[in-house]
Amino acid sequence: MITFPRVVRAEWTKLVSLRSTWITLGAAAVLAVGLAGVIGYGVHHAVEGGDPPPALSEAVGAAFLPIDFFVLVFGVFGVLQMTGEYGSGLIRATLTAVPRRWPVAAAKAVVQVAVTLPVMAATALGSFLVCQAFLGDDGASLGDRGVPGAIVGAAFSPVLVGLIGLGVGTAVRHTAGAITTLVAALFIIPVLLGPALPGDMEKDVMKYVPTVAGQAMYSIGGGGQPFETLSPGASAAVMVGWVALLLAGGVALLLRRDA
Amino acid sequence: MIEARALSKRFGDKLAVDQLSFTVKPGQVTGFLGPNGAGKSTTMRMIVGLDRPTAGVATVNGRAYRDHTAPLRQVGALLEAKSVHKGRTARSHLLALAQTHGIPASRVDEVLAMVGLESAARRRAGGFSLGMGQRLGIAAALLGDPAAVILDEPVNGLDPDGVLWIRNLLKGLAAEGRTVLVSSHLMSEMAVTAEHLVIIGRGRLLADTTVDELIARVAVGTVLVRTPEATALRDVLAAGRATVTSAEPGLLQVSGASAAQIGDLARRHAIALHELTPRRASLEEAYMDLTREAVEFQ
Repeated sequence: MITFPRVVRAEWTKLVSLRSTWITLGAAAVLAVGLAGVIGYGVHHAVEGGDPPPALSEAVGAAFLPIDFFVLVFGVFGVLQMTGEYGSGLIRATLTAVPRRWPVAAAKAVVQVAVTLPVMAATALGSFLVCQAFLGDDGASLGDRGVPGAIVGAAFSPVLVGLIGLGVGTAVRHTAGAITTLVAALFIIPVLLGPALPGDMEKDVMKYVPTVAGQAMYSIGGGGQPFETLSPGASAAVMVGWVALLLAGGVALLLRRDA
Repeated sequence: MIEARALSKRFGDKLAVDQLSFTVKPGQVTGFLGPNGAGKSTTMRMIVGLDRPTAGVATVNGRAYRDHTAPLRQVGALLEAKSVHKGRTARSHLLALAQTHGIPASRVDEVLAMVGLESAARRRAGGFSLGMGQRLGIAAALLGDPAAVILDEPVNGLDPDGVLWIRNLLKGLAAEGRTVLVSSHLMSEMAVTAEHLVIIGRGRLLADTTVDELIARVAVGTVLVRTPEATALRDVLAAGRATVTSAEPGLLQVSGASAAQIGDLARRHAIALHELTPRRASLEEAYMDLTREAVEFQ
């Protein structure tokens, strides 16, 4: 008999049995931590050269700057969880085994969080510690106000972007199309949307854009964005809203369409 | 038992399956025949819930496929040769499918052995040959020890050994009392595998019949006669009700008289016969007749 825990177990087997899972996540984690160190060294060097020492928000922002871009890796990772099945034809076997379909998408989301969250928790903490080690006395410490929250935000933000990717992949089905859609949504639309909107509307709208809300989750005091952001907690809620919306949309299409 | 009742599927303005009704009974191999594009694959996909019918219903053992609590135990399906992620091993692929139903890992090893893939179990499926891919697909179909098996063109692209293996496998599954539905566009393959035939053309049912009935229905038997006295025999036969044609000197093709009647007649008139061969219409001819008609009726 099909039960949801069994479908989760099956999706777990699928995810961990692919070499690309570990290569992708491992490489992203190592690179993010390494770049955080490089950035910390660079800032430290600049301070030694006479620049003013970084404020707390800048010291934290330096550690998590690589994560601004590595969210894309997690988003694409999420896309591929679904489009990989369509590309290989595996989806037909999957949906024949679980003809109600929605448990497949739900189980993929559960498994993806189970794998990406520990990786990101280690990456966020590692990035912070390595970056601050280079900054020395100019850096932030774990006890500083807002720092633990920023680390938690830096861990969760890419995980949520990964789920947005899963939703987009479920809706679009084709790898290239889904990745293009995701890149447009995360990196192109936010850049174009600001100038396109009239002044005060920009202020009201930009903070709900996924990229802005995602970054606000691990910023202290807005992280020097050119526009107003929500608090980290409220930004997290906005991101969860995007995830719910896109996954629900993807599942609705999954249920309706021929496979 | 698989049942289709007034099943229809429309893609855009093309009616791929049109009011199709048939029943597939357990304990025998049922061949699902039709020219390419007749709607065989679409029908099979509707049976296992991959495509949603525009109208009508398909049931498996009395219920729609997706309403079964353990569908893999009802139906095992091989729909397209490679429904496998290239980077995953054969065993991991099957294990994931098995886990959705709580089927133990020991069953995965069992089906791998059944299809002769034990030695390739831990190899990644991307490097599999067409035949190995087909065997892996069949292993997946057998995972749930299903009451019914649906295979779409399983012998396509297989070498003679593989074809023979599938033929025996299908017969074995039917002998165990399972429902077996196997599609093909080749009558020659079905003639040696199937007992029952469901033939469709342009999405419509052309025949739901046994192999023997189909031959009897279409065949007007002819007898091939080789004789050094062809002209004499022809005159004698033509005096009766038989129709005689000749394709080459000394060879007559006779219809309207049995081999026994022709032999007796020749003896009575002291005509020597060198060959007397009754010819049944082949299944291939019966099939061509049926599908040709379908085209003409459009």
